[in-house]
Amino acid sequence: MQERLSLIDLKVKIGKIIFKNSVLVASGTFGYGEEYSELFDLNRLGGIITKSVTLNPREGNPPPRTCETPSGMLNSIGLANIGIEKFIQEKLPFLRKFNTRIIVNVAGSTVDEYLQVVEKLNRAKGVDMLEINISCPNVVEGGMVFGSDPECAFRCVKSIRKATDYPLVTKLTPNVRDIGEIALAVEDAGSDCVSLINTLVGMAIDSKTKKPLLANITGGLSGPAIKPVALAMVWKVAQKVKIPVVGIGGITNTEDALEFLLAGASLIQVGTSNFIDPQTAIKIIEGLKNYCKGNKISKIKSLIGKLKIGD
Amino acid sequence: MVFQKKVKLISSEKLTSDLFRLRFFCPEVAKGAKPGNFAHIRISQNTTPLLRRAFSIFDVDLKKKTFDILFKVVGLGTKILSEKKKGESLDVLGPLGNSFLISSKEQNLVLVAGGMGIAPLMFLASYLVKSEKIKREKISFLYGEKTKNNFVCLGQLKKLGVKTVLTTEDGTKGFKGKVTDLFLKRRIKLGIGKNCFIYSCGPQKMMKKMSELSKKYDLFCQLSLETHMPCGLGACFGCVVKYIKNDTTPLAGQATYKRICVDGPIFDAREVELD
Ligand SMILES: Cc1cc2nc3c(=O)[nH]c(=O)nc-3n(C[C@H](O)[C@H](O)[C@H](O)COP(=O)(O)OP(=O)(O)OC[C@H]3O[C@@H](n4cnc5c(N)ncnc54)[C@H](O)[C@@H]3O)c2cc1C
Ligand SMILES: Cc1cc2nc3c(=O)[nH]c(=O)nc-3n(C[C@H](O)[C@H](O)[C@H](O)COP(=O)(O)O)c2cc1C
Ligand code: FES
Repeated sequence: MQERLSLIDLKVKIGKIIFKNSVLVASGTFGYGEEYSELFDLNRLGGIITKSVTLNPREGNPPPRTCETPSGMLNSIGLANIGIEKFIQEKLPFLRKFNTRIIVNVAGSTVDEYLQVVEKLNRAKGVDMLEINISCPNVVEGGMVFGSDPECAFRCVKSIRKATDYPLVTKLTPNVRDIGEIALAVEDAGSDCVSLINTLVGMAIDSKTKKPLLANITGGLSGPAIKPVALAMVWKVAQKVKIPVVGIGGITNTEDALEFLLAGASLIQVGTSNFIDPQTAIKIIEGLKNYCKGNKISKIKSLIGKLKIGD
Repeated sequence: MVFQKKVKLISSEKLTSDLFRLRFFCPEVAKGAKPGNFAHIRISQNTTPLLRRAFSIFDVDLKKKTFDILFKVVGLGTKILSEKKKGESLDVLGPLGNSFLISSKEQNLVLVAGGMGIAPLMFLASYLVKSEKIKREKISFLYGEKTKNNFVCLGQLKKLGVKTVLTTEDGTKGFKGKVTDLFLKRRIKLGIGKNCFIYSCGPQKMMKKMSELSKKYDLFCQLSLETHMPCGLGACFGCVVKYIKNDTTPLAGQATYKRICVDGPIFDAREVELD
């Protein structure tokens, strides 16, 4: 049985990088990997995307930073992170030990800041890919600003493209008029793939106290509530660009993952669901294997973008 | 070591109109839990409520390999939890968080509980008495509730043989007023001073007050803090409290944010800034 299963090919190749399976864990929901390492074998993951890292350490926004909403949650963490120097010294050596793809998510408030972070990562060991976060809704400067305008997005990614040999995945925000336009711009700028979606701007109010539930007033919505929006955007972007698409948004089980693959995602990321059940990603990997077996599919790749429209 | 496990509910007991005690069979948590630790419990298999809920470990039984939680119904999650039946299995992450610092010297220990704050402090009190390192006469337990009928664990406290002082906001039992008022009034009598260890847990407003008093009188007081916790593992940075280090290192006096789930939930009252 084990042998039969291992004949199923879950591998996905993006550029020169081979992922052992399509299931990654999303930035900001898996810390620096170590937080989950007692709970399961990280080697089983297709890849780990680390918490957004910036040039200098960031304290983040005042609390309360999170609240629950119907089938979802809001967060306004504000890119709290330890800064690139400490990340390379203290977090990367641990992650390097695992046989999984390590993708470092990079954020900045100016193009120059992104470049300085990338420059430091160029000299670091154990990084497979960079995810460029041009989509954080919770910071005043930068973040989403770069992701909301095709020209800004192009300039930002183009500069990073010139500054590094790492394969790039650009993470897109759904808080725009036309996400396809931004995807095309970063494709033109040389991004190797795009990941989407980051969180949707949202808000929650306590009618008794007449106060917002987040100190930052607004935050980013994630979880099952955003899945239909994410699916539509992944489908739309996959039609537009030639580069691979990484699907994110409300994925909690194997069916969700399959839906994203059918809509055109080559890889998927599990986010909020890591909080609910830390084993989600592992369960999806097993689920995809069983699905392939049950449906006599030898390569998972063959499912990507196979949405049937019409009769 | 943190475990994620499906654990069986051994019993569910209704203590007052809205207070419940659940007992789970879980050798890992029973063995690993220290006073102050908490368990992160998945309430529902569907998406409402979506996130886990955190509860302090209230009691453990090493022989029977069980642990207990004590909770109050305040919303949907705790409502659903209160309706769970004996024999059902729940997904538990634990034991999580840091634990109370246990004094190794002979000194006065004062435990200050407000309402649900009784949960971690009851575990601490039993632990202290069982450890026999500290004479029970040295332990005082101040316990405040809104009204007489809300008190729980009084029999247990009596059995432990620690000095217990009660207070109610409506004056229906014990001293009249808040437990922080009682703490202030009895400060001298209870020998509360620099060489005393104070442990406290209760609503946010009470924690703020205890923090202010600890700063004012320079008391060593450990608070057990609560907030919404998406992950409970230190991964999301969603559960922070403002923190100012109180020592002589170069970082002293600088405000940062600490994660309540892994850097806490137990903090030195002089080092946190609560609203
Ligand atoms: C480390 C830790 C230990 C805890 N120990 C206990 C315990 O031993 N016994 C117990 O009864 N409760 C404890 N709590 C609080 C408990 O987690 C909340 O009461 C519970 O999550 C409420 O869930 P709900 O779905 O019923 O309420 P919701 O519908 O989510 O909320 C109802 C109300 O309670 C407030 N609230 C919700 N969660 C929290 C929270 N985590 N902290 C503070 N306020 C909250 C909300 O803002 C709202 O006003 C603990 C919390 C933490 C973080
Ligand atoms: C608490 C929290 C923190 C996040 N932090 C980041 C971050 O630092 N960088 C980033 O690119 N995305 C961040 N995200 C967005 C997620 O990576 C993901 O894009 C989003 O949550 C949607 O997926 P989900 O519905 O599966 O959670 C964060 C999300 C959450 C819930
Ligand atoms: S709850 Fe996620 S870091 Fe504390």
